[in-house]
Order: sequence, then C-alpha cells, then structure tokens
Amino acid sequence: MTMDFVRISDYDLDEPLTVAMVAEITGVRVSFVIRLVQAGILETINETAATPETTTQKEPVLLPRRAVLQLRQMQRLRRDLGVNSAGASVILDLVKQMEEMKREIARMQAGFSK
Amino acid sequence: MAAKTRDYYEVLGISRMASENEIKKAYRKLARTSHPDLNPGDKAAEERFKELQEANEVLSNPENRKKYDKYADKWRYAEQFEAAEAANAAERQTQPGRENSRADGARTGGFDFNDYEFGGFEELFNRGGRTRRQPTRGRDVEATLELVLEDAHRGGRTTLQIKATDICQTCGGTGVVEGNRICPTCCGARQVLNTKPIEANIPAGVRDGATLRLAGQGGTGAAGTPAGDLYLHIRFRLHPVFTVRGDDVETEITIAPWEAVLGAAVQVPTIENSVEMKIPAGAQSGGRLRLRNQGLNKRGGGRGDEYIRLKIVVPKDVGDEEKRLYEELRRISNFKPRNTNQTKGEGEK
Repeated sequence: MTMDFVRISDYDLDEPLTVAMVAEITGVRVSFVIRLVQAGILETINETAATPETTTQKEPVLLPRRAVLQLRQMQRLRRDLGVNSAGASVILDLVKQMEEMKREIARMQAGFSK
Repeated sequence: MAAKTRDYYEVLGISRMASENEIKKAYRKLARTSHPDLNPGDKAAEERFKELQEANEVLSNPENRKKYDKYADKWRYAEQFEAAEAANAAERQTQPGRENSRADGARTGGFDFNDYEFGGFEELFNRGGRTRRQPTRGRDVEATLELVLEDAHRGGRTTLQIKATDICQTCGGTGVVEGNRICPTCCGARQVLNTKPIEANIPAGVRDGATLRLAGQGGTGAAGTPAGDLYLHIRFRLHPVFTVRGDDVETEITIAPWEAVLGAAVQVPTIENSVEMKIPAGAQSGGRLRLRNQGLNKRGGGRGDEYIRLKIVVPKDVGDEEKRLYEELRRISNFKPRNTNQTKGEGEK
C-alpha cells in the first residue's frame, strides 16, 4: 500500500482566486460568478473591485477559495432542491448559524452535566 | 447493507403508480430534511439522502424505472437478462449492433452501483454533474475529519482513507475501449470510485469548523489535467473534560468547603498534562480562575488560556466529630449566605 505524505497548503481557504479560476473549478460561466458577486452572494477579498463594472476594472476581482465550496453547495441545493442562488445563499447562512448554535448548546450541556 | 435493498418506492413513500411529478415532489420533500448541506456532520441524514438519491435516480428515469419494476434490485442487470433471453430465443441471430446498443444503454443508464460506498458526499453529487466546461479535471472531494482535542492542539500526522471518484484510467475517461467496446473497468461510467490512503499533516492549532484543503488529493483527472482537491471539514469530538471557546479551554473542578474558605493548592488537568493551581481563600462556587497560556495552540504561535470553573461540593455523610465541628461552626459563624438580596431575588423569580 503506497501512502502519500501530504502537506496541507491552505489553511483557512483565504487563498485569493480570480473569477475565472472560480468559474473553471466549479464548471460555471465566468458571467455567472460575476453576477453572484454583484448580487453580493459571493464575497470578494478586495471589496472595492466588486462594483458592477467589475469586468472592465483594472484591478481583478479576487474571491477567497471558500467561494468555491459555497458555489458548489449552491449548485447542489439548486439541483437537489430546486433552490435558486439567492435562496441557497440564505439557506447556507442559516445553516451556518444553526451549526454555531448547536455547538454552543453542546458546550453548555457539557458544562451543565458536570 | 440492508438499506441498499430497500424498495425505492418505499424510500420515497410513494405508490408504484406514482406519476413522474409525484416522484419528483416526494424526492424534493424528503431531500429537504436530509440534504447533507443542510445537515452538516449528520451521518444518519447523509445515509438517508444517499438512499433517497439512489431511489430518485432510478425512478425518475422512465427507462430505469421500467427495469426496476420488472427486475427490482437486480434492475441494473436488466440488459444482461434481456440479452440472455434474446440469446436463448435466437442464439444465432446475435449481431454486432446489439453490442452497440448495450454500450449506449450502459452509458446513459449510469453507474455501477455494486460498490456503492462513499467517503465524503462530494463524489455522490458529482455523478452526472454538469461540469461541461472542463470535464476532465479531477473531482474535488469533501470529507469530514473528527479530531480529538489533544490532536487538534498538538497537530500531527493522521491517516485518512479517502474515497474519490477518479477518471477511469483504462479507457482514459471515454467509457469505451478498442473502438466501441464498453470499458471493462468502469463499465462505461468513465470514472471509478477508488479508496486511497492519505497521510495528512494536520497543523497544530486547527479549530472546530475549519476546512483544510489538500491540493491535488481529490480524484485524478484525465491525462494532462490536474487532480481535484480534497477539502477536509474539521470537527472536534466532544471532550470529556474540556470545552472549547476559541483558543481557550474551560473545565470544572470540585473543591471542598474548607478548600474554598481557606484556599488550597489543587492539581488541575490541562490539555497537555496537569498543573498545580492555587485556589485563593474565599473562592466562590461558580467562580472562574484563569491559567494563562494553558489553552490551545494558536495558529500563529502562542497559546490560549485555560479557565477553571470552581464547584463547591459538600460531603453527604459526615462522622460525629465532623458533625460536631459543623455545628460549632454554625454557632460561632456570623456568615449570612442569604442576607440583603434574598427576598428581592426570590421575588424576581
């Protein structure tokens, strides 16, 4: 059995990617990614670049790598549940909040049970 | 394993007469409650969703549904059955064209479900995905890694068994070999599910809820294209002693009344070992003491703190001498635990 030793390169998914890279990785059109950025659904690293004229600006729009994961989740929610992008982003935010609450509850319960 | 043979109609909670629309509706309704993206980390929900998806995949395709109705869980071999029947009926009339149609059927019919197991759920979602623009890039894989707190604190190597969908190397991702023969390795699916062991170096100071990316450790791509990435979602197992708050850990220790009154030096657990801590005289139950730099390793160096919550416990059974001393204490003490605020406090409740 061979085993690769893997160094984890990106710790917290802040690595900046261009719109084109995000589109390529997720298999969607560049224009779609730009639309999501303009709608405020995908967050950019360099805030100032995220204006409606993104494509013509000199400074390229950069997205954190976690946008890839977010976009994938949105694609899955769309395919499996028929949720559109805006709805999916709201759902993902809520799920995140719920997760944090669940953790907090688990922590509290652990504290009380002692 | 038993779940895999469950009736697909039963899984979706519909009758065998259900219309296509009803199937879709039932699937969507159930998927809402068990979708892995909506229930992160919930293994049971993930299993349910896989079952649902399998049922939906078969029943929502009219052709596959017909096969399923006829052959039930052996529907995948429908073509073999039919081919065998046809061969029996007219042994000499088997023509090359037959081979073609079978290959096509296998390709559109989907995948070999025989070894239907998953590491993360990403490859499940990727099946039949719409990555039209770069179909040959390797699949990304998402998986959850549960860590015990000590490992997250120290960091270190861990071995993972990752199930990733690789481009079939036999046919190079085309699904066919030597002209038009269906690829024997992937059965025309163009991709195969492989399990590969990966030894990953988990950095010290990783946190619950973090996601690590292991570049190039997802599914392999076709020749000349990059492999997909592996995304590891980190989850902490609940620790029996410590609760985590950011970089800090918190634990509770119990002390005797006289330790609280007089102060004491007690041994308290830390994430790495244990240390002796001085409890100041007059410590209160519920009070928190801080042990500086005994928390979790931080990413950029340094450590969080450990907080000790005090809980005063009293002996249930006391001997005669002890009882006498407590009575003596009651007599001479002018400590009033319920003084000025007592009535007000109760009134508020």
